[in-house]
Amino acid sequence: MKQTLHSATLGNGITVVGEHLPDLESVAVAFVVDAGAVHDPTGKCGVAALSGEMCLRGAGERTSRGVVEAFEAVGAQWSQGVSSTHATFTGAMVARHLPAVLPIYADILRRPLLPDDEFEAAKQMVLQTLAGIEDDPGHRTISALRRIHCPAPWGMPPEGITADVESLTNDDVRAFLAGHLHARGMIVSIAGRIDWDDAVKRLDDLFGDWQPGPDAPIIDQPRGPSSRHVPHDSQQTHVALAWSVPPYRDETSYEATAALSILGGGTSSRLFTEVRERRGLCYTVSAGYQTRRHFATATCYAGTSAERAQETLDVILAEIDRLPGSLTGEELDRVKARVKSGLVMQQESSGARATALARQWYHLGRIQPLVEELERYDRLTVAGLESWLAAHPPRDLSVVSLGREPLEVPRALPA
Amino acid sequence: MPFLHERLANGLDVIAETSDSAVSTSVGFFVLTGARDESDDLWGTSHFLEHMVFKGTSDISGDEINRRFDAMGAAANAFTSEEDTVYYATVLPEQQDDAVDLLARMMRPALRAEDFETERLVILEEIRMYDDQPPFGADDRCRAAFFGRHPLARSVLGSTDSIRALPIDAMRDYHRRRYAPGTMVLAASGAVDFRALVAAARRLCGDWEPMPAAGRVVRDAPRRAARPGIERIVRPQASLGYAVSMVAGPAEDDPDRHAARLLAILLGDSSGSRLYWELVDTGEAEHAGCAHDDFLDAGLFVTQLSCDPADVTPLLARIAETYAAATREPIAPDEFDRARNKLASRVVLAGEKPRRRLFDVGLEWAHRRRHRSVADTLHIVESLSLDDVHRVLATWPLDAPGAVVVAGPVADA
Repeated sequence: MKQTLHSATLGNGITVVGEHLPDLESVAVAFVVDAGAVHDPTGKCGVAALSGEMCLRGAGERTSRGVVEAFEAVGAQWSQGVSSTHATFTGAMVARHLPAVLPIYADILRRPLLPDDEFEAAKQMVLQTLAGIEDDPGHRTISALRRIHCPAPWGMPPEGITADVESLTNDDVRAFLAGHLHARGMIVSIAGRIDWDDAVKRLDDLFGDWQPGPDAPIIDQPRGPSSRHVPHDSQQTHVALAWSVPPYRDETSYEATAALSILGGGTSSRLFTEVRERRGLCYTVSAGYQTRRHFATATCYAGTSAERAQETLDVILAEIDRLPGSLTGEELDRVKARVKSGLVMQQESSGARATALARQWYHLGRIQPLVEELERYDRLTVAGLESWLAAHPPRDLSVVSLGREPLEVPRALPA
Repeated sequence: MPFLHERLANGLDVIAETSDSAVSTSVGFFVLTGARDESDDLWGTSHFLEHMVFKGTSDISGDEINRRFDAMGAAANAFTSEEDTVYYATVLPEQQDDAVDLLARMMRPALRAEDFETERLVILEEIRMYDDQPPFGADDRCRAAFFGRHPLARSVLGSTDSIRALPIDAMRDYHRRRYAPGTMVLAASGAVDFRALVAAARRLCGDWEPMPAAGRVVRDAPRRAARPGIERIVRPQASLGYAVSMVAGPAEDDPDRHAARLLAILLGDSSGSRLYWELVDTGEAEHAGCAHDDFLDAGLFVTQLSCDPADVTPLLARIAETYAAATREPIAPDEFDRARNKLASRVVLAGEKPRRRLFDVGLEWAHRRRHRSVADTLHIVESLSLDDVHRVLATWPLDAPGAVVVAGPVADA
């Protein structure tokens, strides 16, 4: 699999990573800034989310409407989002429009106007999103799980907390952006039909003299494991579990993700087979892997009718318990096949590649050729997975349920 | 992107849109059956049957199907709509034969009674899951209110009662009638070996018995809502209020469907549209959007709103006024250009993913026995003019009295 990968560092430390995909018509771009919700000060949970929104409401010579219309004049699809780690501004467009689109991002990131007369509307928009999340049982369940399991501030909701957001002012936004929206740690990722040298030159012209700001260290607070029930008047009860696993940058993260995939990654996984196919307990059941740079979390999630939720939790726990010592070669082969096609098919999407490259740079400090990643998965063996599981059995589980009645969380959780 | 077509003796169409640069192969069976083809006592059968197809054939178990797809590294799934049931798998090119082999065998499922009872529980969970989520059934109820006695009134999942009451023999009979080769298409896109595809189809599907085309009741497109006015769903636990409203729009065979799609982007896209600036940018609504949906014999403009429950009624009035203003006053050329650029860009970006092309190519052939390339569609979009949009607005007034369903915590929201 031949790839054309690039990376460059601008004079001020901004990293630019890229991949040329000559068969595509499109280019995707991602600006990843170290202005994530993990920097929300205590009592101001949501200021990162609100700041991300405010960046779009007028920048440089552009009004709020002017920013959006500049993207749409060339049909560029754009989005803005704030996660725990980053504020991310992305776009996808027909390749020839890239030169027209890059200066819009330079205005948004470097010259946001943060006008007072847009502030209330932006704040209301964030509050509307939070109210919408109240009606999303799955989102609320996972959010509650993160809060009890992950160390603060990592487990705080990146979209904010209503009571905190209500009290935010535009000065809070200005202070947040002054401290966090700068060139330090910024990653720009471009993928698709790109002219690499031209793109880097344009980015250097637009961003090369942007000053890196102060480092903003994050102090972890201990949390989890713990259990919690969230009362909610719904027909279904939602159950989610979490435990700690090695982060993506750790050499054994491949063992961890492969074991999780066997547990709950595909329709032939243990959880799908035992919970849905064998017992018909629910429509949705899966296991997943969420990584930060220095820690990661394994999660399981299921939604089922209230009277069968306890059985669902019990079956999930039994499957987690049964995992060490029971892996088969066929299961591992299926994981490898799924990983391989997933990685290869990324090549058909400029957006997927731009996101993947930025993610790799953030976690690994380099971009990893697909071949290397495939080879690492190919080297996995059942014996290797088993010895990793023996050393790192799922333990100290956090459990959240959301629904009418709390569930009984067995004392004898795998520990 | 060359297009290839071959018809087997029993009437099964095999088609492919091939691409030299694709690194994946997508294959799928498109079955011309869906909720609109059901009677009251078969309500939900098409979708339930779609689940049962994954439970195995006489010699392949359901678990074996799951294992085989995962062993291929396939992204395999299915969906059921009012008009179609589609089974598909995206694989690396070397897995094409295995994927086609498995999908083709699955089209003749065992429909075992024991699997049927277990899967019935899963379907009931799926119904509860959607019932617990926004817009709390307002979309299905609104379609029922718009279509009245038209077959498109029927929702895809069925009801708890209809699923509980469904006997397996009725599903077996439905399958026999609806999964006939003449009403199915085997489609592929991406890196396709067409000769191998046709050979596999002959070997695996050649003995499927040809049947007279199963009936589908196609009626004149309803031009107005069967039950105009507001219906309400009360959900005490809801944090926001949700409204869905539907008025008539161009149907699938109407040349104006592309202009209708452009108009929906201009008025109600998720960013940069009139509703966005009027209600979302201001923070008054969590969401306010408009989309154009089309079917064989009907089309809809669907408006969706979510906001503070107390604001639903006044904001619906503001949306109606936004639509009335669009009908009353000419649209500015630069606003039209932006919407057209967005639509054109979506056509190009979606078109470069073989997985996405499979659905466009397969459904176009299943419904209209026609192939349209990305370039064809792009040409149509780029030829659209302001006159086309004004004509759609005049023919299909968005401010007409539509069917409206409001879901929220209080009855008077």
